[in-house]
Amino acid sequence: MESGTPAQSRFGADAVRKSPESGGEVVRLYLELARRSFQQQFAYRGATLAGIFVNGIFGIMIASVFLALYNSQSSGGMDDVQGWSKDQTITLVWINQSLLMTVYLWGWWEVTHNIQSGAIVNELLKPYDYFCYWLSRDLGRALAHSLIRGVPTFLTGIALFDVLAPETSARFVAFLVSIVLAVIVSFCLRFIVNLAGFWVLDYRGIAAMFTAVLNVLSGMLAPLAFLPDPVRIVADVLPFKAVIMTPNEVYLGQVPIWQGLGFQILWIGALVAIARKLMAIGERQLVVQGG
Amino acid sequence: MDSLFDMRADLTIAGRIAALRLRGQMQYRSSFLMQIFGNFVVNFAEILVLWSLFQHFEDMGGWSLNEVIFLHGLSMVMFSLGDTVTNGVQAVPLLIRDGNFDRTLVRPMSSYVQSMVNEVSLRHVGLLGQGLLLLAVGMATVDSEWTLAKTAYMLVVIVSGAALFAALFTIEAILSFWTVNSIEAVNAFTYGGSELGQYPIHIFQRGMRLLFLYVVPVGFMTYYPSLYFLDKPDPLGLPGFSPFMAPIAACVFCIVVGRGWTFAIRHYRSTGS
Repeated sequence: MESGTPAQSRFGADAVRKSPESGGEVVRLYLELARRSFQQQFAYRGATLAGIFVNGIFGIMIASVFLALYNSQSSGGMDDVQGWSKDQTITLVWINQSLLMTVYLWGWWEVTHNIQSGAIVNELLKPYDYFCYWLSRDLGRALAHSLIRGVPTFLTGIALFDVLAPETSARFVAFLVSIVLAVIVSFCLRFIVNLAGFWVLDYRGIAAMFTAVLNVLSGMLAPLAFLPDPVRIVADVLPFKAVIMTPNEVYLGQVPIWQGLGFQILWIGALVAIARKLMAIGERQLVVQGG
Repeated sequence: MDSLFDMRADLTIAGRIAALRLRGQMQYRSSFLMQIFGNFVVNFAEILVLWSLFQHFEDMGGWSLNEVIFLHGLSMVMFSLGDTVTNGVQAVPLLIRDGNFDRTLVRPMSSYVQSMVNEVSLRHVGLLGQGLLLLAVGMATVDSEWTLAKTAYMLVVIVSGAALFAALFTIEAILSFWTVNSIEAVNAFTYGGSELGQYPIHIFQRGMRLLFLYVVPVGFMTYYPSLYFLDKPDPLGLPGFSPFMAPIAACVFCIVVGRGWTFAIRHYRSTGS
C-alpha cells in the first residue's frame, strides 16, 4: 500500500477505528488519499499519450461504422433511427471513448487481489473505512483520467466529426455532475464484483461476465435504443445504464436533467448499501492462510 | 546466422517446450475453461450488438449482416492465431524490464523461437473457435459460390493474416528493447487492426484506409481477399490483383519486422541490476 495513511501503530489501530475521529480529520484523510491517487496518474506520460492515440483510433473506427450504417446504400441514407439522429450517435461514440478511462470499466481487481493475497486483513485493521478508502482513491484517479485522457479524446472527436454541443450551459454543467455520479456508480459496481473474491478463487470468469454485461447494458457499444426491446427494457432500469448512458442522455438533452441525475443518485444509494452489506458478510467469514 | 539445419533442431526443441508449457497449464483445468468461457461471452455480446444494429439499419457500405459476419470471423481467426503464437514474445517487455532477457542470449537457440515458447497459452482458443464459427456462419449464409480455389486461397489468407498479427505483436517487443514507455500505442494496430479488419475498409476515412492498407496491411488480409470470396465490387478501384496480395504483403511486413528483431537483439544492452 502506498503512503497516504497516517502514521499509526497497527496494534492500536482497532481501537482507533472504533472511536470516531473528528469529522474534519476524516475528510482531510480521504482528500489526501484522493490527491495522491490523482498525482500518481501523471507519472506515466508515455502511457498516457499512447492511450490517447489508441482511444482516438478506436473512436474514429466506431464513428465511421455508425456513419456507414446511417448512410446505408439501400436506404439512401437515414437520419432518425430509434429516436437517434446521426450526429447524436456520433456524439455518443466520442463521449463513450472519452469516458472509458474515467469510469474505468475494465480491469480493476485490486480488492480481489487484496482478498486473495490476504493483505485485506492488514487493510481492515487500518484506521479508515475500507470502502471509503478505495472510493476516495478512485475519485482522485477519475479526475486525473478525465483531464489527461477524456478531454484530449473528446477534442479529437470534435476536430474530426460532427460532435454536437449541449443545448444549454446548464446541460453541460449537469453533464459534468453526471460524470462524477457515473464514476461513483461504476466504482460501486466494481467494488461489489471484486468482493466475489471472498467466495470464489478464480475471478476471471466473473470478470468476463461483468465486462460483457457492462459493454452491452451500459450503452458502451451502442445506444440502448438500438438493442432488442426485451433487453432494452431491462437495461433501462439496471444500474449499468447510469455509468455510460445517463451522462450521454443528460448531455444530448434526451432526458430531463433531474431525472438523469436522480436515477444515478438512487442507484448510488442502493449500491452503497449492497456493497457494505456484502463487505460485512465477507469479512465475517474471511479465512486467511498463513500469518 | 542460424543455418536451416539449426533452425530445424531449434523447432523440435521448441515444440517440446511448448508441449510442456501446455501440459502445465492444463493442470489448472477449471481456470483454463473459465478463461475460454469468459472470452467467448465478451465476444458473443459484441456480435449480439452487431446483429441488433442490423435490425434497424439496412446495410454497412453496401455489405449485408452476413457478409460483415464473415469478415468478423476472418479477422478474429487471424488475430487469435497471431496472438496465440506470440504469447511469449508479448512477454519480452517484462523480461527486459526485470533483466531476465539476458539468459535468452546465452542459450544455443534462436532468440525469437525461445521467446515464442517462453510462454504458451491457449487462453485465446475461445476466440479462435468463435472466429471459425462466425466464418462458417458467414460462408453458409452469404450468396456466393464456394469453389475449391476460394477455399484453398482462404487458408493462404488466414496464414498470411496470422503472420501479420504475429509481426504486429512482435513490434511491441522490439520497441521494448529501447523503451517500455508508450509501447501501448502498438495496441492501436494489433487490437485496433483486428477491429478494423472486421469491417469493410471502404467505410473508413482516407487517412485510416491508407494507414491500414499500406502501412499496416490489415486491409489486404481481410477486406480485399473477401471481395474475391464474396464476389463484391471494389469501390476504392484498386487493381484487379489486389485480393491476391495477402501473402506478399504479409511476407514483406514480416521480413521488415524480422530485420527489426535482429537489429534489436544486436543492440540490446541489459538493464543490469
